[in-house]
Amino acid sequence: MGCESCSGGSCDRDKTGLPPGMLSEYNLNQSPAEGSLVWIEVINDGNTIMMNDSSKEILGKLQEISDGRIFGVIFGDTELKVLYGEIFSYGVDTLYHIKDKKMIQFQPEVYCEMLVDLCNRVMPAVVLMGATPRGRELAPRLAASLGTGLTADCTELKMDGRFLQMTRPAFGGNIIATISCDHFPQMATVRPGTFPMPEPMIGREGTVIYRQYYGSNYKNIISSERIISVDYDITRAKILISLGNGIKEKESVAVAESIAKKLGGMVSCSRALVERGWFPQSRQVGQSGNNVFPDIYMAFGISGSIQHKAGIGPAKRVIAVNIDPEAPIHEIADISVIGNADSILKEMNKLL
Amino acid sequence: MKYVILVKQVPDTTRIKVDENGNLIRQGVPSILDPYCEYALDMVCRIRKPEDSVIVVSMGPPQAKESIFRCLELGANEAYLLSDKAFAGADVFATSRTLTAFIRKFAADYDLIFCGKQAADGDTAEVPAETAAMLNVQQFCYSENIIISDTIKVTQNYNDEIRVCTVPKGSVLSVSIGDINRRVPSISDHIKALNIEIKTLDRIALGLGMYSVGIKGSKTKIESSYSPRYEHSGKIIDGTDPSEAAKLLIKEVL
Repeated sequence: MGCESCSGGSCDRDKTGLPPGMLSEYNLNQSPAEGSLVWIEVINDGNTIMMNDSSKEILGKLQEISDGRIFGVIFGDTELKVLYGEIFSYGVDTLYHIKDKKMIQFQPEVYCEMLVDLCNRVMPAVVLMGATPRGRELAPRLAASLGTGLTADCTELKMDGRFLQMTRPAFGGNIIATISCDHFPQMATVRPGTFPMPEPMIGREGTVIYRQYYGSNYKNIISSERIISVDYDITRAKILISLGNGIKEKESVAVAESIAKKLGGMVSCSRALVERGWFPQSRQVGQSGNNVFPDIYMAFGISGSIQHKAGIGPAKRVIAVNIDPEAPIHEIADISVIGNADSILKEMNKLL
Repeated sequence: MKYVILVKQVPDTTRIKVDENGNLIRQGVPSILDPYCEYALDMVCRIRKPEDSVIVVSMGPPQAKESIFRCLELGANEAYLLSDKAFAGADVFATSRTLTAFIRKFAADYDLIFCGKQAADGDTAEVPAETAAMLNVQQFCYSENIIISDTIKVTQNYNDEIRVCTVPKGSVLSVSIGDINRRVPSISDHIKALNIEIKTLDRIALGLGMYSVGIKGSKTKIESSYSPRYEHSGKIIDGTDPSEAAKLLIKEVL
């Protein structure tokens, strides 16, 4: 009460020195933040340049839940011009293109500096990016630099006006928590594949604004090499043959690959087989691997730890083959086969 | 060289069970040193020279000393526990701020900071990059291999790209894979660890205000939480005869 310059407390001026009631009447204590800013990750392997799918999914979700402006940011040189039309077709109104040859390669420190600058300029209420390896590296750096909170790996977003409700799994998928942030911009990374791929609105237009970086905070990258082709992406498979610790024969990997080929599916695995070195981590399903969204998920010799089950939550049908009738995977299976996974795989391969 | 390793004690998430009402049963779940933190520590212990100092620091309740003790057994030679009632409920921002305050005040002359890629309980993978941003140094996430000669070189794996970078002194690295055949502490390591004191530092010692730490210093707030339940229609097929089972399965899939 009072402005504390007099002891009586009889004056009703508040601490701001403004006439009483001004602050709430004109909403002067409100942040002017509005709209959303999305970092659009670009895949550029020297031959093809394309938008990352997770950026498209985020833009699609934003159009559904938000009525504010959508700002996009891309980093790279003139070669990104071919993407403008596509980016606008997914709902971006204003696109900031940070132009520099050195930005073609992922530079978290420099990207972050530029994003801080942009956030101070456009004051978005929400900043989103895909929870891809690069997004998960860039987002926390940006959040700390802006002094705001960050919710990683969201699986659901809801908006009430400009306020965002973020939902994410924690404790290995044992808990699903809904989180809010009391600072602007509210930041989140979104798990790839969680939201449906939107339909592009061909011919939609927007504004491009160029910006440049004048600092010198670049990383010294000695070499960089692309490793896997993008087309073996288990998160996009309709049928998954998934192998776990119950698989005893290494031969079964080849058998599973052959079945997957015949059924038009892909082969994935649980953490145990990554640790055995039978599969790369990109094939791993579960909390620490990938979330998958197949129509049919066939788990061979997978016991079904909670982390693993969290990764196959969205699967339409789960078929479990396991010798142990008590294995937790059977709790979520539509069909449980109690039997030897190795030999059933072999028989299936013969019959197909 | 002076290495700082940020570690976390986590409940063993592979052993967590959910009761029939969908609540977490935390009782009887053991706490462990987070596996990724162990990978990070192991990486440091492999590259260190005998004269180098390896400092581990963890923020957590007094029980976290168990995990810190494990770090000492694995080869660290100095250990700090940041523990205070006011630290409870910290989100990533408040946690990183607390760790940053420690580094500025007690280990300002460090050469490199190592972290695990992510912790098994939260899986957020945010602390390394937030701490790097607060210290205003470079960050190298998903590090798999590090070579120290006259310069420091690190190999990072982005799943679709492998890159090698030079690491300036002061950087923060997060380690994503570990050596399966890594060293297991021996009895003599255990005895050596018993002689090292784990120093506990509270909020005042770190020079942090009430509103910089814990739930009050956090930017995010948990609105609600629940345990998910999975549904199943549960048809059970006897698979003692593999060829019969295979036939049935194919019928279901096609």
